[in-house]
Amino acid sequence: MKLPESHAAVLNAASADDARTIDQLADDTGFKPETVTGAVFELESEGLLAVEESVEETVTLTDEAREYLADGLPEVRLYETALDAGADADPVSMGQVIGQSGLEGPEVDIALSNYARKGYGAIESGEITTDADADPERDAEADALADLDAGEAVGDEDTLDQLERRGLVTRAESTVRAVTLTDEGVTALMEGVEVSETVGQLTPEMLTSGEWKEVEFAEYNVEADAERIEGGKTHILRQTANRVKDTLVGMGFEEMEGPHADADFWINDCLFMPQDHPARTHWDRFALEEPTKIRDLPEDLVERVRDAHMNGVGDDGDGYHSPWSEEFARSIALRGHTTSLSMRYLSGHEVGDLEPPQRFFSVEKVYRNDTLDPTHLLEFYQIEGWVMAEDLSVRDLMGTFEEFYAQFGITDIEFKPHYNPYTEPSFELFGTHPTTGEMVEIGNSGMFREEVLSPLGVECDVMAWGLALERLLMLMYGFEDIRDVHGTLCDLELLRETEVLH
Amino acid sequence: MPVVDVNPDELRDLTGHDEKSDDELIDDMFALGLEYEGETEDGDLQLEFAPDRLDRLSVEGVARSLRYQYGDDRGVYVPGTNDPDWTIEVDESVPDERPYVTGAVIRGVDLDDHALDSLIQLQEKLHATMGRKRAKGAIGIHDLTMLKGRAATGDGEGGEVGNSITYRGIDPDGDRFVPLDSDAEMTPAEVLRVHPTGETYAPLVSEYDRYPAIYDDIGLFSFPPVINGRRTEVSTDSRDLFVEMTGTDQWTIDHMCNIVCYALAARGAKIEAVEVEYSDRTLRRPDFGVQTKTVTHERIERTLGIDLSAERVLDLLERSGLDAETNEVGDEELAYEVEIPPYRVDVLHPLDIVDDVGRAYGFNDLEPRYPDVGTVGGRHDRSKLEDAAREVLVGLGFEDLLNFHMISEEENFERMRIAPGDDAVGGGDPASILEPYSEDYTMLRTWALPSLMMVLENNTHRAYPQDLAEIGLAAEVDESENTGVAEHRTVAGVLARHDASYEDAKARLQTVARNFDVELETPATDHPTFIDGRTAAVVMDGERVGVLGEVHPEVLVEHDLELPVAAFEFRLDALE
Repeated sequence: MKLPESHAAVLNAASADDARTIDQLADDTGFKPETVTGAVFELESEGLLAVEESVEETVTLTDEAREYLADGLPEVRLYETALDAGADADPVSMGQVIGQSGLEGPEVDIALSNYARKGYGAIESGEITTDADADPERDAEADALADLDAGEAVGDEDTLDQLERRGLVTRAESTVRAVTLTDEGVTALMEGVEVSETVGQLTPEMLTSGEWKEVEFAEYNVEADAERIEGGKTHILRQTANRVKDTLVGMGFEEMEGPHADADFWINDCLFMPQDHPARTHWDRFALEEPTKIRDLPEDLVERVRDAHMNGVGDDGDGYHSPWSEEFARSIALRGHTTSLSMRYLSGHEVGDLEPPQRFFSVEKVYRNDTLDPTHLLEFYQIEGWVMAEDLSVRDLMGTFEEFYAQFGITDIEFKPHYNPYTEPSFELFGTHPTTGEMVEIGNSGMFREEVLSPLGVECDVMAWGLALERLLMLMYGFEDIRDVHGTLCDLELLRETEVLH
Repeated sequence: MPVVDVNPDELRDLTGHDEKSDDELIDDMFALGLEYEGETEDGDLQLEFAPDRLDRLSVEGVARSLRYQYGDDRGVYVPGTNDPDWTIEVDESVPDERPYVTGAVIRGVDLDDHALDSLIQLQEKLHATMGRKRAKGAIGIHDLTMLKGRAATGDGEGGEVGNSITYRGIDPDGDRFVPLDSDAEMTPAEVLRVHPTGETYAPLVSEYDRYPAIYDDIGLFSFPPVINGRRTEVSTDSRDLFVEMTGTDQWTIDHMCNIVCYALAARGAKIEAVEVEYSDRTLRRPDFGVQTKTVTHERIERTLGIDLSAERVLDLLERSGLDAETNEVGDEELAYEVEIPPYRVDVLHPLDIVDDVGRAYGFNDLEPRYPDVGTVGGRHDRSKLEDAAREVLVGLGFEDLLNFHMISEEENFERMRIAPGDDAVGGGDPASILEPYSEDYTMLRTWALPSLMMVLENNTHRAYPQDLAEIGLAAEVDESENTGVAEHRTVAGVLARHDASYEDAKARLQTVARNFDVELETPATDHPTFIDGRTAAVVMDGERVGVLGEVHPEVLVEHDLELPVAAFEFRLDALE
């Protein structure tokens, strides 16, 4: 029979009638105990060895116990000092005895708490007496410590428990394996066991020399965990953004791009947001202190937008009864929505005049002066999309969004009539959560108003919608706190461990 | 979005539908766009809705809309008004900043506790919305019996109008009155200083030379838009009311006044007109005139995407509380002349009427269809480049990160040992936020390395190595840009590991350069964020586009890091 070296050595060291432990076998063979354990189990499964397991308790002395072995137990030292001070005759002051005993710090408390318990005497009103029957030479706990130190077993469970409570010993259970040769093992040994050559690593030399044909490869424990390594991964919010982009490109949408810091004109005025609208007040937007104003705006467009705000559009149109100033329109702010990009593109000032049909989108950051909490960030990604065509209806809008959300597993879309200053009709979109089944808000949409399109020079219909990408991410991944994912407070562990969706 | 509290019993009463359960009412209101948010302590239903139909800011308005929905009412309703007995004279001293006033007299109102609460709520909600927190329009409601009108001076026309009050401007300390919720007589200026309501609204008028004030024959009784006098306070015993509104726009206050009058008329009160006498004109208010807009049949069918008969459209319009007639004359296109009631403030354009038709029809009854429109999709060049660069970085083992574009000056500059205006990567002048909400976010970051250092700082308890990269926005003030802000995408990477070195960072940078066929040179440079002698400029195809090196120990210690970090940052467009 051919066996790997360690197996052969263990088999040779084992005996049929004298059970050996793993440690003994390791000593005999010179292999590490874990190697021996592996060999023993494999030989057992081949029927060559028998293994019997038993549980053995080991009791180990703590550092504190070793100090007491040298100096004596604190209560014994207290007793002996008290005896020296004559406490067997009359009570002696505690302070005096402790001073003379040399006990310090926590030892004093230990001594006092064990003194009476073990019958060395009494402590009353700050005075100490000794008990005539006490015999420090026969202290069970001290004796047990000495026995353990000498490597002898202690049979008295109560004393052991007491020592464990005092933190003087630790007790641990371990499995001891007793190994014996089986009849088959004896037979194998009698028939002769040869050592097969094994190699750990396949080397370039072995390959070139052909030596690999002669060797046996040492078996690995292929089930053991390997070292953990961190691979790089695209950020999950970015992955979600890319999935949205792929979906929209597939639906014929082209991507837009434009400034994050922009004039209020493009962010709000073109959208027919009255200048005294609550969302345009200081607390909702991030106006810039530096720089303050945009240099150039298309003059004719500014005039048409002003006219729409003041007088409305068309014969029957009314404007807002709000003041409008170009100065305000020129002020720079971080965009509160990427609809500013839609305005730039629709105006013809970004990529030239657009002829219908067109589809455009962006998945870019927007900034809102909101409170930072688990579901709200000061900056987040907005999915923005619009379709420009002759004759678009509310039904086209509904059909487009049903198609888009279906790609993310969100179905049964409901359209709740809504109000936006820049679209009419407008709808809040609700969908069924893919896992919880709840109705959740998934976007805001509508047909751009004439007051938006007419100044921009657009003569056909445009439907548009917006949605926070983070909202889609949270629906898809089930995160509870968006701050763990997006921003400098992110948790690397979460990013590394999050399951990849596809 | 506004929230209105509605007592369900009142709603049943005002709609005449005692049989409706709370749940049924909630469903019916959802169909109107009023979303149930919960209950108040008193058991009122809290309803949230978009701020277009401001005529629904009280139970009376909600009930009116429900009656149209149920088909109990159809078409436009205009309550009758009695001839005026009172005049509001506008004195020449009135503040230039707040020159407009309007009003109405309400008689025979039965104000129980619910009705009074509802009136107060309507007033508050109108202030918050149309009134722009009272800046644009402020409402004052008074117990008419406590007012003593002066014999109107009249303008010579008739003179039969018996009583008058005067809207004028006065010196801030020019007169005294006892404001609501107070026992002390004070001047308007004192109200702003010591009265809680006065303190709240002081910013609205404190810059005025003359403060707005309303007088009757007894004296000063109201200090709009801040507070009314205690003398004319309305209670459940009040039967006749004087409603006045002042503001910066006549249309706005007139329509706020209409909404209040409609709500009180719904409770059986009689509306009596008042005359508003400006120096150059006299108005009779409230103005319940009905506006007309024309909408074509084609527009309705196109926007809704369905075919409708003219009869059906007329029916849907009437169910929306509008009146309409077709104007079919000869070959002219079929259109509807639609009359809009005076409480509607949301109809700016005929397409707003199309929306009403759609709501009455039921938008969710429309069949979605995918538009038969062919377009070719595609990604923006910059976004494609960004993704390609990100793929290379991730392939090199970097964890891709996504940080905020907003940051504090301390994080962006000081903790990185640089200052604004430094001639170093990251040293651009910051685009800064005006009066920032949080001291952690006061500017757009000029570079991305500070963000990555912050992530390292917040993750010292996580396993190392931590190789992090980010491609994202950085910006700085640049007067040559139209917006004044130069924005670019930046590529930043950090290697935090116990043996991180300059070479580790450079090796990765070389791979990136090779992948994009860019020639990389790294001449020695100095940069306060990095260790002297271990810092290089990133030069790609001959242009300086970034920096590379071992991060300075002071920066590491500042970020609570206990191991070295090698880092780089360069402009994404260098890879184009």
